[in-house]
Amino acid sequence: MIDEAIKKGPERTRRNFLKATTALAGAAVAGLPATGPAVADARKRNPKRGGTLRFGTRDDSVGLDTHRNIIYFVSHPLTGITGGLVDFDDKMEPKPAIAESWDASADLKTWTFKLKRGAEFHNGETIDAQAVKWNIERIKDPKMSHAFTRSVVSGVERVTVDDKYTVRFHLKEPDVALDINLIYYPVNLMAPGAADKADTEPVNCGPFKFKSWRRLDRCELVRFENFYETDAEGNSLPYLDGLIGLPKKEDRVRLTALRTGELDLIDNVAYADAPAFKKDHGKTFETWPVPQVGTAMMFFNLKNGLLSDKDNPDAHLLRQAIAHAIDREGIHQAVFNGIGSIANGFYSAASPWHPKDIEPSSKFDPDKAKALRKKAKGGDERLTIIANDTFPYMHQSGELVHAMLKDAGFNVVLEILPSPVMLDKQTKGDFNIDSTANSYRLDPDGWFGRNILSSAPENRRRIGYKNEKADQIILAARQERDRAKRRQMYADVETLVNRDLPMLYTHYVPLLMAGNRARVKGYLPSFSGPWSYTGAGMRRTWIEG
Amino acid sequence: MLAYTLRRIAQLVPVLLVLSMAVFAFVEALPGSIVDTLIGTEGGDIEEARAILTKEYGLDRPVHERYVLWLGRALQGDFGKSLVTRRPISTELLSRIPATVYLASVGIVLSMLIAVPLGTFAAVRRNSAVDYTAQVTSLAGISIPEFWFAILCVLLFSLYLGWLPSSGYVSPFEDFWGSLQFLILPAAAIGFRQAAFTTRLTRSSMLDELSKEYVDTARALGHSERKVIFKYTLRNAMIPTITISGLQLANLLGGTVVLESIFAWPGIGRAIFEAILQRDYPLIQAGVLVLGFIVVVMNLLVDLTYRLLNPRVKFA
Repeated sequence: MIDEAIKKGPERTRRNFLKATTALAGAAVAGLPATGPAVADARKRNPKRGGTLRFGTRDDSVGLDTHRNIIYFVSHPLTGITGGLVDFDDKMEPKPAIAESWDASADLKTWTFKLKRGAEFHNGETIDAQAVKWNIERIKDPKMSHAFTRSVVSGVERVTVDDKYTVRFHLKEPDVALDINLIYYPVNLMAPGAADKADTEPVNCGPFKFKSWRRLDRCELVRFENFYETDAEGNSLPYLDGLIGLPKKEDRVRLTALRTGELDLIDNVAYADAPAFKKDHGKTFETWPVPQVGTAMMFFNLKNGLLSDKDNPDAHLLRQAIAHAIDREGIHQAVFNGIGSIANGFYSAASPWHPKDIEPSSKFDPDKAKALRKKAKGGDERLTIIANDTFPYMHQSGELVHAMLKDAGFNVVLEILPSPVMLDKQTKGDFNIDSTANSYRLDPDGWFGRNILSSAPENRRRIGYKNEKADQIILAARQERDRAKRRQMYADVETLVNRDLPMLYTHYVPLLMAGNRARVKGYLPSFSGPWSYTGAGMRRTWIEG
Repeated sequence: MLAYTLRRIAQLVPVLLVLSMAVFAFVEALPGSIVDTLIGTEGGDIEEARAILTKEYGLDRPVHERYVLWLGRALQGDFGKSLVTRRPISTELLSRIPATVYLASVGIVLSMLIAVPLGTFAAVRRNSAVDYTAQVTSLAGISIPEFWFAILCVLLFSLYLGWLPSSGYVSPFEDFWGSLQFLILPAAAIGFRQAAFTTRLTRSSMLDELSKEYVDTARALGHSERKVIFKYTLRNAMIPTITISGLQLANLLGGTVVLESIFAWPGIGRAIFEAILQRDYPLIQAGVLVLGFIVVVMNLLVDLTYRLLNPRVKFA
């Protein structure tokens, strides 16, 4: 049987079908005026409870095992089944989830988490310290987990169980950001007793339970009645009875389905469509700008080639020439349609980690770009820009930068490639410029400690940037508890980055969601989508009508 | 006819064998690796993870060894598991193939329902208003890109009139009437374009047949015009039409990726396309092989249909 909620679009009964097809044929012959869509059931529901939300997304998860696959905040309806020790709030601060409290030792090498009593997995298994320990050990196993998730627990030497509801993480090195990284990367908990079904019938501890999934087609989730969170009045969350995820890759296909009433909520409204959509349909549909998803940038290959200081004594001069040739305002207007803002560092003004005093990178100055290019050794040699074909803004920015560099006299080619080829080229250093983006890291060590620190595997694989002063600051910041001091330390690193130019930040990546005002109630997106967000998001949403 | 059919079925074996080798070689030649995609990049133990996954998926073995192993399992109906979702390939394909077959066959039937009467009347009433209308319409159908016509259909029938859903799929086995509502627009987009080709083909075949002596003989014997057209001429004229429609159907089974994207239709074409992007080798291999099998069987059925249309056709 089809879920009732899917029928909220055009009603699908035999009588209605015959009516529609007869009308189609009749109108085709006689040009008769049409009737509108079926009127939705207008009966009142108990507010703040119930309904099945149909969520249209650009993307879908690749698998069901939450340790092995990144079932991620943005665009993955399956994220509704996931949960972990920690949540975050609208200020991007860590908040209790399965862990009701936690603290770190003075040396930041031991973290103790006290678990909620009574929290359960979807199959009724108790979430206790042993279950947490089992999960962390499974994630640490390279056979069982994705490197992204594993990276946050790779610094965990061992996990010990103090009592049924107290678990202790012993780290190899001090880490001030373990708690927030546990949610960002994300360390989701699954029921140990159901591990053998992780790829087919996952049992987790999120606000929704898994019902069914056909990849890139449809997933169905139902409310987990024993979810730990309640609202201020003590009502259990989530409010929704269920959620149907309907991935539709094309942005305009999703938008059309929203407008026809086949979907209640969509992500990734195309930047080009947003102004007209808001103007023409703002009364019927709400549009939410999600605070921040990530930051777009141009990575320069410093491992080898023309832009590498190892291979070209004038590499820095060339990188400066490139930076002067790139009109970020042009990217802001042409790619992002004036939505969002130009980036000078990794963190936007929406973030608590937005640095106040950093030296901006080179300004757009085409004449200076031409002069520097002519002066630099290798200025006439061929540069290769690569861009991922998955995200429109990445290859669109790449196309624009390609044109800008051509204008500045560079001999440059652009290759738009699928992810496996991108990975291969990045690893082999078979590129000069990579038009890319990085998703927002809740804690700045997630960005600087992985992409700027010279010993970080990702920096070594992809960029090859090395600045000893930056390394010292990043390592010291890992042990600094004072947030104001940490923020200033990262601001100092940003200044070094903008001077050395291992990359050029271009734009903060905005995300626009849209929903049917009459049906979707209580929804507020979190910083990167609808999910692990205490106080709003999908947990506080209900359907009316 | 039975001997012919059995011989043709026997010929399937080498065809599918060559196809399987070609697909294996093609997948092998693709740049980039599934393992790199799956293991991620942000970690200190990437090399260890790569080695583990490469061994687990058997990618450390020589290609010919992998091919033989894969073929042995495939012959037993076991295509293995998707490297991406880790679910059985048969599950992945079985959820996709019915959707594609449903869409392609209804699209072709729709095109035949439009094209055969239109092409026939255009030929019988040559140089009349019907003929000109058929020619102009079919020319428009060939000229208008399928995806553009599909988008226009969505705008008109979903967005402005609200009669039909704009995208999505419901299995006819779950809800037949509901599935038809989702089917109409994509099937119409396919049918309109295919009808354009088939109308022109039917018209020219009919004109060709109408100029033959047996038609004059039939008329001289006093048969009614209706009988001459529908009993004698049209049956002969349908042979090229059936041939082309059979090939069109075969093409549609794997070639509606754009339409599947516009209508969010979970077909096999999109599944294989996504599998290629992600380097999900077993899914690509199994998907292409199954499609190849369907195409070969389609061709056989088309050939057998000749005999039904014209009993004088002899199978060599």
